[in-house]
Amino acid sequence: MIRDITIGQYYRADSVIHRLDPRVKIVGTLLYIISLFAFRGFAGYAAAVVFFGVIVFLSKVPLSYILRGLKPVFFVLIFTSVLNLFWTPGESFFTWGVIDLTWEGLYKTIFIALRLIFLVLGSSLMTFTTTPNQLTDALEKLLGPLRHLRVPVHELSMMMSIALRFIPILVDETDKIMKAQAARGADFESGSIMQRLKSMVPILIPLFVSAVRRADDLALAMDARCYHGGAGRTKMHPLRYRGQDFVAYIVCICYSLLIFVV
Amino acid sequence: MKDGKREGRNGEAVLAESHNLVHEYSRRDEDGNVTGIVRAVDGVDIQIKQGDFVAVLGANGSGKSTFAKHLNALLFPTEGTVYIDGMNTLEQDNILAVRQTAGMVFQNPDNQIIANVVEEDVGFGPENMGVPTEEILCRVEESLKEAGVYEYRKHSPNRLSGGQKQRVAIAGIMAMRPKCIILDEATAMLDPSGRKSVMQTVQRFNRRENITIILITHFMEEAAKADYIYVMKQGKVALSGMPLQVFGQIGKLEECRLEVPQVTQIVRKLRAAGVFVREDILSIDELAEELLKIRNCS
Repeated sequence: MIRDITIGQYYRADSVIHRLDPRVKIVGTLLYIISLFAFRGFAGYAAAVVFFGVIVFLSKVPLSYILRGLKPVFFVLIFTSVLNLFWTPGESFFTWGVIDLTWEGLYKTIFIALRLIFLVLGSSLMTFTTTPNQLTDALEKLLGPLRHLRVPVHELSMMMSIALRFIPILVDETDKIMKAQAARGADFESGSIMQRLKSMVPILIPLFVSAVRRADDLALAMDARCYHGGAGRTKMHPLRYRGQDFVAYIVCICYSLLIFVV
Repeated sequence: MKDGKREGRNGEAVLAESHNLVHEYSRRDEDGNVTGIVRAVDGVDIQIKQGDFVAVLGANGSGKSTFAKHLNALLFPTEGTVYIDGMNTLEQDNILAVRQTAGMVFQNPDNQIIANVVEEDVGFGPENMGVPTEEILCRVEESLKEAGVYEYRKHSPNRLSGGQKQRVAIAGIMAMRPKCIILDEATAMLDPSGRKSVMQTVQRFNRRENITIILITHFMEEAAKADYIYVMKQGKVALSGMPLQVFGQIGKLEECRLEVPQVTQIVRKLRAAGVFVREDILSIDELAEELLKIRNCS
């Protein structure tokens, strides 16, 4: 069912990592990504791989699930690897015609590929273990200080969570409109690219009209329930750090120190 | 009169009242020039007591929804005044208190649920009011249970049926501790079973907690459950009274483009055909009982 699509890629499980405060996970992921670019040498890579492995183990998310996250970057990976492998000057160990492989090229290929892979895996692990709602909440809290610079942080996070709420509804609606158009003889599957693009117009216009109407209704409903911006608002589930979150912060800091020192 | 509680016909507190309420929409062309003025509500005087179950009936375009939006301070009078629990809706400082006192359930279930999880949506109102966290959790649990949707508290609203969504919306209003719930055609998009569950929920709140219910509808069967009915036509109150009094005036109802409920029609036809059934029957169950009684007697 089209209704069942999940936004983001949350993997429901009950683990230490799932229970961590989302702020810890965002900060931790950022630190991890920075660390990937900060170190040189095998020891650093080994530390990064081991650290990631431990967290995956703790998160109870199956490895096959996490590896699936690599699919979209597969081509980028191949592309950079090929470039690095064949066009890095240095001491060659294999020559055949125009092909000239160098040790430097080989190292670079492996390291850059690993960096990319762990960059993607690290951030997708965060989305696997954190619901989109928690993410918007955490972003609101973390970016909170920007309020003083007149950045509408609360409004932005409210917009994000409303968008998340309405994506499945609009997907459903698109499906309905497409079926209605198809029942009237519209053809979305054949023809040149231009023709197919043109056939999208009768889908997009009703969709926009209905989205605007929904937005209007929703604004009224929010008004009716006393919504008046972020001022004086309390939270039903406020983010509160607990013991495990401080432990997680300490672990992240230790890991970063280790990487930067090595 | 501005702030003090007022007393109604029978000495009970008046919750909502409108004095000569007029609302005009201006129609504009593409350049923003006013091309015409539509009087959606035209001189409405209504007084609703605390704990009443009132239905406002009317065909499409009769102004009933526009009237309802005044009770929630979503629209403001062009002329006249509206008081909710003694507060004038025109005063800026009263708006939040008015909206908290009279909560509103809208027609489209999807377009009034804000959060991605049922319980968080119910908590939305109290969050806006600045209720402390523990109190919010308490209220949310209570209202979800009372509205009969507690088991779905962790679900996404997208997976609920229309009736369940409307009950979540009602729970969201109850969590704000209102004195009144306005249902603005809240059952119009529901299937019969969803409609029934929503009606049962609001009736329960009405009876158990003395919450005033203002039901805006064009379903006669729903209006039959009310204590008092106002029928609107072209922005004016054309007819008002207890359900039986209103349904008795078939000609006038037809002028308002409304149909008498089926049960009332059957009772009338039976009586006309010489079957002696009681005149004050409003529900199918009552009629069935009465007919069984008659069969057993003869």
